[in-house]
Amino acid sequence: MTDYSKKRFLVIDDQAQARDALRTVAQQLGAFAVEFASNYQDAIFRIRNNMPDIILCDYVLGDGRSGQQLLEELRRFNLLPDETIFMMVTGEQSYEQVVSAVELIPDDYIIKPFSPDKLLLRLERIVAKKLFFAGYYKEKRQQEYANALAILEAARDSEAGRPYRFEILRQRAEIFIASGDVKSAETAYRSILENYEFPWARAGVARSLQKQNRLQEARAEIDRVVASTPHFFDAGDLKASICMAQGEHAEAQQILDDIAKKTPRNYLRKRLLAEAATLNGDTATALAAMADVIANDTMPGAISAEDRLATARSHINAGDKITAEKVLLGIRDSELQQMALMEQASFAALLAVSSVDRGKIRFVGLRPAMLVTEFNSTTRLDIMRAALSLDDHQLADLQSGQLMAGPDAKKVFGAARTLYALHGREKDFREIQRQVALMRIKHEEDVAPDSPATA
Amino acid sequence: MHKLLDILASGIHDAKNQLFIAESMIAASEAAHGIAMGEARYAIESAANRLSRTLTAYHLMRHDAAASVTPTIVGDVCDEVMLAQRKHLAEHGIALSVDCQVFDEWPLDRDLVTDMLNNAVQNAGRFAGKAVQVSATTDDGWLCLRVDDDGPGFATLPPATGTGLMVAERLARLHHRHERQGSLLLSNQGALGGARFELRLP
Repeated sequence: MTDYSKKRFLVIDDQAQARDALRTVAQQLGAFAVEFASNYQDAIFRIRNNMPDIILCDYVLGDGRSGQQLLEELRRFNLLPDETIFMMVTGEQSYEQVVSAVELIPDDYIIKPFSPDKLLLRLERIVAKKLFFAGYYKEKRQQEYANALAILEAARDSEAGRPYRFEILRQRAEIFIASGDVKSAETAYRSILENYEFPWARAGVARSLQKQNRLQEARAEIDRVVASTPHFFDAGDLKASICMAQGEHAEAQQILDDIAKKTPRNYLRKRLLAEAATLNGDTATALAAMADVIANDTMPGAISAEDRLATARSHINAGDKITAEKVLLGIRDSELQQMALMEQASFAALLAVSSVDRGKIRFVGLRPAMLVTEFNSTTRLDIMRAALSLDDHQLADLQSGQLMAGPDAKKVFGAARTLYALHGREKDFREIQRQVALMRIKHEEDVAPDSPATA
Repeated sequence: MHKLLDILASGIHDAKNQLFIAESMIAASEAAHGIAMGEARYAIESAANRLSRTLTAYHLMRHDAAASVTPTIVGDVCDEVMLAQRKHLAEHGIALSVDCQVFDEWPLDRDLVTDMLNNAVQNAGRFAGKAVQVSATTDDGWLCLRVDDDGPGFATLPPATGTGLMVAERLARLHHRHERQGSLLLSNQGALGGARFELRLP
């Protein structure tokens, strides 16, 4: 049996009596070091400063937050090593519904009331499992994906791996996603579905298809998940991103609006809502969502330069260049210097749009890099917008050509056309579109008809 | 829209939280004074399970119950039933044994299946002479979970069903996989000569 006197426990619960009860139970296992966190912020603070070995977290944390949201944020910000045990504690049977559907799950959950013996049984089981996967966790953390996969393959065929068959398949699919091998990820998730119709596996198929830019198929898969498990909110987020990629911005915003009302303190979702609202031309919603993010997302380091760029962008969309300029100039020089080239390009472009005087020199300085660098569609759109307003036709047309030829063409088509129209250049935009279409036809004639490029 | 359900669910949730506080205090007293109060804790957990089952039954009557299926190690479910029931049965002179022959994970609703087995073992304990056995096997792609006892068997077949059996029967049917559907079989052909409760899950 594990020596729990050497393990550091963290009990997270907003109710004092319940915290005491959890500590009492942990002490019966021999636990000596039991820390408390009474709310979400406190929990994150303690986890960042002194990583516990075992987290016992209540599902209801008060203040509109849940233990599940905490878990998701810890995983997304990479604050929770695979070796740490995260046990959700709940009086709600309905939490089982969440665990059976979603992609990010705790090591286990336990329903109140429970005895120290039962907690011990559950913890011992997790310890055994983590021991089994220890070598794999190490390779995964170091992003040695080939090694990680080799360990999983060997585990799959081993006798000791029998109790973890599904977990091995699930981890394998996640590694394929992380390493960018999305075709293999799709196959891996589909092989899980042959066994059982798990919502998370179906969502995995949708995610893999989206990354292959097979949007219609991705949409069909995610529609099934959302219809069968409406409480699987991440599936809603994924559906909204797919809708955006398909150019269906109103639907994306509607989906995110609905879920965001149920999860008012999920700020990643609020950012996604702001993006959808921006694409949908609903500047007021975008501004409100970003203002909420910047005021209330207290996850340390969560407010990024990108958030401020998004806010400035929304102000520009709303025609308020003065506030946009203020937001941009509020970014400290030290932060600017730490920005990647893509963010610097967006910053320069947005500043040039807000205030030609202040922004033009920086923008022109980055111009040579903008001509040759691969950027994401948001940054390309920023550059295009600034170039149009500075009458730099060559740069604007280059960006819009790349956008229309890229995987996000449907997503940004409406926004790009509107900007060209604003500068009286609709005809030029149609000509760029025509050129891209001709190139595509030529490309399709050159490659085999069943190539994924035709999707 | 779901007002009644919300009231019931939140009441049951609060009650279970309170029961947990009570159970943890008992556990602390047991350790502090070296006394055994397992039966008191057993009564608390049974009360909580009964509350949960009531809520499940309500969902079933409304036809909005769904199985929350996760990959589950069958041996773990057996171990938990053993942990929950063994001492209590021993108090009544009945030996509980487990024979699990399934070593892979199986997709099932862990909490509901564990509750069904716990309930079946409790029922069996009421009629058993000296022994109750929980066993798990596979049969042609089915998972068979059985509770056998050495009592007189069911007086009538099918027996008059209470909430527990009604819930078990309907929950078994909520397990679907590749066109197959779970079922509950009650018989007097148990391995120990008495009644047999058998869940067959796809």
